[in-house]
Amino acid sequence: MAGDGANRPSRSELLHKLQRELEAPDLAVFGDTSPVGRYGAFVGSVIESHSHLPRAMDYARRHIAELALRGRSAASGTVILADRLSMGKGRFTRSWHAPPGGLWGCMIFADTLLPRWRGLMPLAAGVSCCQAVRERCGVEAVIRWVNDVLVEGKKLAGFLIEGYREAILGEEYALIGFGINVNNGEFAGELESSAVSLAELCGGPVDLAGLTTTFLAKLACNFGILLAEEELFLREGHFSGREGCHLLLQRWLALSDSIGKRVVYGFDVVTTPQYQAEVVGIDEYGGLQLRHGDGTLTTEYSGEIRYL
Amino acid sequence: MASELALEEIFSRYKADPFDYVDVHSVHTGRVTFKAAVEQEVVAPSGEWLQVPGTPLYEIDRERNPRLVGSQVNGIVAAVETQLDGSFVEAGVKLMTIKHPLKKKEIIENILKDVLFLFPAPESAKYFFAMDIQSRIDKKGARAVSVEPGDEVLTMSLMKRDTPIYYSGEGGVIYSVYFKPGVSVRQGEPLFGVCAPEKLPLIQKIITRVKAEWDSEH
Repeated sequence: MAGDGANRPSRSELLHKLQRELEAPDLAVFGDTSPVGRYGAFVGSVIESHSHLPRAMDYARRHIAELALRGRSAASGTVILADRLSMGKGRFTRSWHAPPGGLWGCMIFADTLLPRWRGLMPLAAGVSCCQAVRERCGVEAVIRWVNDVLVEGKKLAGFLIEGYREAILGEEYALIGFGINVNNGEFAGELESSAVSLAELCGGPVDLAGLTTTFLAKLACNFGILLAEEELFLREGHFSGREGCHLLLQRWLALSDSIGKRVVYGFDVVTTPQYQAEVVGIDEYGGLQLRHGDGTLTTEYSGEIRYL
Repeated sequence: MASELALEEIFSRYKADPFDYVDVHSVHTGRVTFKAAVEQEVVAPSGEWLQVPGTPLYEIDRERNPRLVGSQVNGIVAAVETQLDGSFVEAGVKLMTIKHPLKKKEIIENILKDVLFLFPAPESAKYFFAMDIQSRIDKKGARAVSVEPGDEVLTMSLMKRDTPIYYSGEGGVIYSVYFKPGVSVRQGEPLFGVCAPEKLPLIQKIITRVKAEWDSEH
């Protein structure tokens, strides 16, 4: 069912906001930031708004498959928004409560990144959300590896990326699902103590349309960085950040509070916690570097953590 | 299907030389400094979470970021490309070879790897079976579960990005599983081995014969 589009930014608003994102001081390392803008401008190439969907990822898959039946490809950067998701889900078998008032949806990305840098894609989603809520609402949001966005230890937003290979044309897509608690105030069951909304933090309703525009513009800029950094690395063998660091990792490090934390790690940390360790850093692919009790180091490229 | 003759040749090879010769390659570009020498004994990672690194084999320095690479297997260093010591190398250059003594179970697995169709990990990541496959494995065991090209067989999990993996290869039953859920698998390593139905008697014969002819664990 189509929504009223109240939280849907226009293409021109989004591009205007992206232009302003390119003025961020840390992008000065590129000199000319126009490649970042060009690479990121695909985000929001099409924006659909629905009043209700069971799950935005499933809708995106159907949309891609239906287009393929007509011999067409889905537009990379298509954003699917829904006022409400009735069957939203998190990782594994966890459900995601998505009533009206939140920012729920997903983006279709024709996956053109080289495999070695695809691991940074989830970081881009978390960074974009964290930047957007800091800018729009002034709350001290932080990122917990990989990309959970927390405020005062409670979860404000979560992201999930699912790969999808369309069967007829064989095209590979990444579906970037996002869920941000904005004006939805009530959380069911165990979420009551572990989740928080922006309205709760700001003491009143937040401009959902404005936040949506800002989030998508940040997403455009950060995906632009991902693609521009890949091009730079292939051309010159290094990234643009400090000491050759990937600029997106630099942004993630500036927003995350995971480094130095004592954590419990698990592939599914809720049902099967595996071990406790201290976070000492992230590597060039976004892997979490952990120091164990005996001083040895490991790097995890999947799974999740909880702070102790 | 592997012929009786080919099998005899495989058995003879393992009888004469019950070792694996594991080549160690540079993990990325950089300047290499060797940390292990020929005839040196090396050990694989250990500890409950394999957090204790294996014996250091070489250090590789890229953009002033040195990385110490440890052995992934037990054994003896059989050869070192000493002419590369201190040199800049590309990714994937052979640096040394480790002679790894094979146990009976490893010999069976190695021979099976010659006979089964091995489905490799497309990326270094963690893998788990697709829900449908896993429920069939839970009910009947992997060796009762058939896969055909195009089946969604695994989910690859990397940095909170879950990607369905579709099977490509010869159809058959999942005979050997080489990964554990939640444990990382390197790109190119086999995830599982598939056996065409007509090869099952041959595999049983291999296992019986190895168990009978290799009377010790080493």
